[in-house]
Amino acid sequence: MTSPTEAEHKPSIRPADESRTLPSGEREFFMDVATSDLEVNMGPQHPATHGVMRVLLRTDGELVTGAQPHLGYLHRCAEKIGENVEWLQYLPYTDRYDYLSAMNNNLSYSLAVEALMPELEIPRRGTMIRMICAEMNRIASHLVAFGTYGLDIGAFTPFFYAFREREWIQALFEKICGARLTYSYIRIGGVFNDTPPGWLQEVADFCDVFEEKWQEYYDLLIENHIFVQRTANVGVISEEMAYDFGLTGPMLRGSGVDFDLRRDMPYLEYGQAYDAGAFRVPIGTGEKGTVGDCWDRTQVRMVEMKECLGLVRWCLEQIEPGPVIGDVPKVIKVPPGEAYVGIENPRGELGHYMHSDGGKIATRCRVRAPSFVNLAVLEDLMPGTLLADSVAIIGSTDIVIGETDR
Amino acid sequence: MDFQAIADHLSVAKVPGLLSVELPRSPDKKIKDKGRSGLPYVCLDPSCIVEFLMFCRDDEALGFEVLVDLTASDPSSDDENLWILVQLLSVRHRHRLGIKCILPKSALSMPSSTKVYRAAQWHERECMEMYGVTFEDHPDPRNMLLPDDWVGYPMRKDYVFPKEYHGISCE
Amino acid sequence: MFALVQNGGGVLAQTPNEGTNFLHELLLWLPLPEWIPGWALVLGAVGAGVGILVGLVSFIALWSVWMERKVSGHMQCRNGPMYAGGWHGWAQTIADGIKLFQKEDMIPIGADRVLFVLSPAIVLASIFGALAALPLSYDWYFARMDLGIFTILAIGSTTTIGVIMAGWASNSKWSLYGAMREAAQVVAYEIPLGIALMVPLITLGTFSLLDASALQSGFFGMGWAIFQNPLCLPAFIIFWIAALAETKRAPFDLPEAESELVAGFLTEFSGIRWSFFFMEEYAAMFLMSVVGAVFFFGGFESPATYALRMAGMEGTIVFSLVCFGTLVLKAFTGVFLMMWLRWTLPRVRIDQVMTMGYKYLTPLALICVLGAAIWEAVLHIVLN
Repeated sequence: MTSPTEAEHKPSIRPADESRTLPSGEREFFMDVATSDLEVNMGPQHPATHGVMRVLLRTDGELVTGAQPHLGYLHRCAEKIGENVEWLQYLPYTDRYDYLSAMNNNLSYSLAVEALMPELEIPRRGTMIRMICAEMNRIASHLVAFGTYGLDIGAFTPFFYAFREREWIQALFEKICGARLTYSYIRIGGVFNDTPPGWLQEVADFCDVFEEKWQEYYDLLIENHIFVQRTANVGVISEEMAYDFGLTGPMLRGSGVDFDLRRDMPYLEYGQAYDAGAFRVPIGTGEKGTVGDCWDRTQVRMVEMKECLGLVRWCLEQIEPGPVIGDVPKVIKVPPGEAYVGIENPRGELGHYMHSDGGKIATRCRVRAPSFVNLAVLEDLMPGTLLADSVAIIGSTDIVIGETDR
Repeated sequence: MDFQAIADHLSVAKVPGLLSVELPRSPDKKIKDKGRSGLPYVCLDPSCIVEFLMFCRDDEALGFEVLVDLTASDPSSDDENLWILVQLLSVRHRHRLGIKCILPKSALSMPSSTKVYRAAQWHERECMEMYGVTFEDHPDPRNMLLPDDWVGYPMRKDYVFPKEYHGISCE
Repeated sequence: MFALVQNGGGVLAQTPNEGTNFLHELLLWLPLPEWIPGWALVLGAVGAGVGILVGLVSFIALWSVWMERKVSGHMQCRNGPMYAGGWHGWAQTIADGIKLFQKEDMIPIGADRVLFVLSPAIVLASIFGALAALPLSYDWYFARMDLGIFTILAIGSTTTIGVIMAGWASNSKWSLYGAMREAAQVVAYEIPLGIALMVPLITLGTFSLLDASALQSGFFGMGWAIFQNPLCLPAFIIFWIAALAETKRAPFDLPEAESELVAGFLTEFSGIRWSFFFMEEYAAMFLMSVVGAVFFFGGFESPATYALRMAGMEGTIVFSLVCFGTLVLKAFTGVFLMMWLRWTLPRVRIDQVMTMGYKYLTPLALICVLGAAIWEAVLHIVLN
């Protein structure tokens, strides 16, 4: 989209010889009236942009003819900070990129640092608790996506139902690590502390209750005819477009690509879990419209929530007593090397590239944030849609600006 | 394919610009678990990056459809080079590749990979503003996260924080 | 039709005299000094009427806001207001009203001051005008109008002008979007609204609300229009959808779509001006519900009124109160239904709104009218 300003046209009437006389005897003049597209700022404060993001829209009435996202409102220099604090001190910063799935952020960072420390043994109980927390956090994150998407589309009630379940998950997390949103629980070497007594049983209870509620939410919003009309055939991302833009996670799976890092490039014990049939990977099939439309992506997230329950149940069966954290010194010194580890965040592939020169502080801490990459499709998806559709599209990308800006 | 196989395939195909293959610089050689190893990467001549990425994307055996990450790294303020790091992912073959290009700080310019992968566009914008790398023929070289009038390249190791910005003190 | 009502066993309700209304009659009945001229009494009646109307609209707004908050709360598995005033926060709206009243009156720079100040007034004035044609009971009405429903629809549609003025005068692009959507939506749904209302008009045969209600008094007070003609049910559904669109309620709340346009045409209005718009919204909801109640569901009639009429208590205050109560009950059921729909359904996109209005509802409404007319003709032939 080129520079916003356009010359103002004053309406002018062309000279008399460019008029003509109609059969009724009236003279018909030609007016040269230019209408320019309306340029509207969507954000930085806007109910639908999921955070502080500015999208400069150019619209012709209700039709969007250009969209340009402007980022940086939540840029907190996480990568620069990573080069100035010690390895363990950086962990709370990882919580705060994608604050809705902090466990997964901690996990990605810890796995990247552990990749540079090959002699470090992670105990199995630690791995199992990591998996349970990561999957519960995935459910919590997808609940927010579901609730806020309903809000964007205009259905006010599912938001409250989603947050009711999320409150339970947050209460569970509060019991285990003391925090409701930014946990810093999954640490280098394992997890911080063991589960309190009764916690695992409560997780099992949650899974049973949530399974019934899931069906209700699916029927209430996802199968609602008006919702389907608003999201089907809107914001279609084809497979080639998804590859070209580097999309991962539900954005990629919504376009029909059968790829999930947990199953295909497994970390922790997801490979064993998949082989045991604990979970399946949903993909978009174009059931209500086209493959890769907003409905497909939303449906992938919904079904993923249900599959997480299977994973959590498998981990609950597999877990055994034991230590939860490996032999990690108080001040961690990571041997020199470089590592890139990407895991399946609820939003896509969250990758950490760590470069260590053997000291207490990292030399380079790069965060490959899925929301940052997923957001780039907006420039190509939004032109040609109506204003209401652009809200639906932004909602279906499920971005968190903390991650986009870091 | 594992990394060794990819590297062999690349050298056999005589892809232009391939300089060397680096295995992880971790001191412990007893790495058996592939998921826990450090990052192996191929070292590339920066001017050939577009052809290289095109080969990686279009070759059947490699099939790297997705550009996962494109970033830069400043190893230290004494070092006269800057690293450009690219991560590729193949969805159908389920393997990854790391690419490193070394650019001298005095001549920080290389071709833009936007023609090959559209995902590179925003990553390159971030590199340009944070490190001062110039990507030639980039379609939209605006600042990504920083304000348009920011002075300096923040992610470099020798960056000095400004004392104030538009009258607001940064102490 | 009249034969049907009489054969149903109901006694046709008596309708009051022409020329005056109950306020004027009340003033005439009071022992006032001789030197007060006649026109002063008329003016007094008018003033009292305006006062009652203002009170009515205020009460409707008060009650509806509280009801909306409680209804939405319980549908969302939470409580809603609980503290203000003690029992379930009944005084919450009063507290909100006081708060809004004392807020700073902000008019944005560059806003068209005249239109900005005028738009809430126009919106509220048109609703007052429409409500003035509404009878509160058989004896309690402000003016006896033969074209009651016509007046209501005509004056009620001038709210759109106020909304568009509000959107334009705010000097904000988002408000303009809301105003444009409102214009398109309301114009599109006026048509099915009017046409769908023609079905009970054909069934009952009168434009006047009092007579329409009286004609539904058969069958022990349950001889409602919706039972008199099978096409009244689809007509009611079309009327209801059009009424939702007219009052800008979800699923047609695009003009003030919260999650897209911040607050649509209302964005720049704060404090008392905003409360005017909301009083208008709830009063319009009430108005549409009352129209639906009177023309489809019997209006003042119910088994209670039938019983009172049988007991010979027609014309008494108790009878009027029961009629009023019946109407209000039916109207608030309609308002509750509108609220229920708001908190359940997502929003429809503007082009889908227009498609539905022009391509589906209007032809359906026309078919209903045709069918209703055929039904009435056939019935007339069969019975005579």
